[in-house]
Amino acid sequence: MDLVESVKMATATLTGNRLRSALTMLGMIIGNASVVAMIGIGEGAQRFAADQFKSLGPNVLFIVPGNDNARNRTLNIPKTLVLGDAKAIAEQVPSINDVAPQLQNQAPVVYGNKRKSTLVIGTTERFAIVRDYNVARGRFITQQEVQRGTPVAVIGSKLAETLFGTKNPLGERVRVRGLSFKIIGLLASKGSFLGNNQDDVLLVPLSTLSSRLTGRTSPYGVEVTFISVSAKDKSQMAAAKTQITNLLRLRHKIVTEDDFTVRSQDEALSIIGAVTGALTIMLVAIAGISLLVGGIGIMNIMLVSVTERTQEIGLRKAIGATQSDILIQFLIESIILSAAGGIIGIMIGAGTVVMVGVLTPLKSSVSMPAIALAVSVSGGIGVFFGVVPAQRAARLDPIVALRSN
Amino acid sequence: MPSDNSHSAVSHKAAVIIRLEGVNKVYGLGETTVNALRDVNLTVNAGEYCAIMGASGSGKSTMMNMIGCLDRPTTGHYYLDGEAVAEMDDSQLAHVRNRKIGFVFQQFHLLSQVSALENVMLPMIYANVPAAERKERAIAALQQVGLGDRLNNRPNQLSGGQQQRVAIARAIVNRPVLLLADEPTGALDSKTTQEILEIFGNLNTKGMTVVMVTHEAEVARCTRRVIWFRDGQVIHENLKPEDLMQATF
Repeated sequence: MDLVESVKMATATLTGNRLRSALTMLGMIIGNASVVAMIGIGEGAQRFAADQFKSLGPNVLFIVPGNDNARNRTLNIPKTLVLGDAKAIAEQVPSINDVAPQLQNQAPVVYGNKRKSTLVIGTTERFAIVRDYNVARGRFITQQEVQRGTPVAVIGSKLAETLFGTKNPLGERVRVRGLSFKIIGLLASKGSFLGNNQDDVLLVPLSTLSSRLTGRTSPYGVEVTFISVSAKDKSQMAAAKTQITNLLRLRHKIVTEDDFTVRSQDEALSIIGAVTGALTIMLVAIAGISLLVGGIGIMNIMLVSVTERTQEIGLRKAIGATQSDILIQFLIESIILSAAGGIIGIMIGAGTVVMVGVLTPLKSSVSMPAIALAVSVSGGIGVFFGVVPAQRAARLDPIVALRSN
Repeated sequence: MPSDNSHSAVSHKAAVIIRLEGVNKVYGLGETTVNALRDVNLTVNAGEYCAIMGASGSGKSTMMNMIGCLDRPTTGHYYLDGEAVAEMDDSQLAHVRNRKIGFVFQQFHLLSQVSALENVMLPMIYANVPAAERKERAIAALQQVGLGDRLNNRPNQLSGGQQQRVAIARAIVNRPVLLLADEPTGALDSKTTQEILEIFGNLNTKGMTVVMVTHEAEVARCTRRVIWFRDGQVIHENLKPEDLMQATF
């Protein structure tokens, strides 16, 4: 008997019992849909995280106060990272391009009768370069303004929209804790980073913020929240990290544990990558288990089917079906069940992935390896779990089978 | 149905279709063995119309399985149409059943999900007959049993007699040398029984060798030779059907 006839026979049997076939396929449908969806969404999450870090600026290192690895770690962040450190780094570290210290403070920004609590960042003229911000209109803060502590501000696009609507913000004045700032520039939109809208900011000269708003908070100088540093290029990042670490240890007279941390975005990215990767593996493993359960479901139904169709098997054998004819017929039935369930599941999974891509910021897309995995696994499951019932059918004694009821 | 084919298939061979020599069939092991057949010697020639009779447990069912190549003798030889089938393996036996034997069962054993036509085509699928020829021959076989107008009906849309006629069409469609029927009228009323027996009679007239297992004397009386079993042995090898009443009682 040729394969085409076997497939036709199997199809006739399966379509003759639609509800049961559909229910049997359900396990495979759910399993495959979840595998494809989980992998697609997981990859989307990783891409999303990677893109987020790219938006921070190229080859950026962050120096933050405090050390997560310190033995006597406390909730109090040391106030030892100061403006002087940033200046020293800019002057003494050869592998870097630019340094942008920043001091930030959540404060209400007022314009007319509108008021919005916003991240006010005090920084220097280098900030726009290091952090890859572009000015859409007007200009950025200048070195002079930083030195003099001029009350000028560059406004983020989101904040500008909130306060000014469609009106041109340039030349207008906003108030922060009683101090009036003149808007000199409007930033181009940069999108959000891990849920923080990078456009909902007000940038002012660091000196203005520290002297007029926050006041002196550290005995070591003007305290900064963190320092962004851009390395000369990607290959220089490790060198920059070491040089900065050594310089700051020297400046802070450290002999035991650091009171600061130098972070690169690659490190952060690899941590996020590891987390999302582990999550994806876990979700795929769960989806894989449902594939397994689906396979067992197929085996179960096929075994029931063999029992129910004992007479049919006996008849087929009596009129000339060989053991291998029967084996192949039942094997094809289980393969069709799992493959059809697999295909439907893949389509549902792909649809879910596309929908997630459209409805959420996750750039999820249908992963071809995921589909290949799902197809081969479900095909394999059809064969693997079909063999036992098919062999049972093939080995039935036709005499017994014909006389059974 | 090309009945001349069944004629030619029979006539050019040696006229012996069934030859059993010293056939024994033992079931079970150790102390619980049952001798279902004991030293059976039997010959059925081409074109014969026989009934195998006997009480329950007489061995007639085992005999039917043996003749139908569904079972192998424990010892002894069985030649079907000149081929030694006792020594064959399972797949060779499947081949022999497919090409040389047509089965008709008491319970019809039709596939319920497919039409009469597809039921009749089934043996030809296992014989690798090309699709177009399959259909042609299946239609011819159904016409021969008087169901030319019921090709596309499913078994549940047919009466018992019609279902059995589909089964007969299926049995003859591969042009076997032997038509083997196991209580073919056991599930039918007396009027339908006569119709079915008429079909067997017609097939036999056209040259088909028919062997029928039955416990009904009335059915057996339509045949031309009765083989009587008791305790696994042939006790009458060639009883005249008209003497049947006398033999039974």
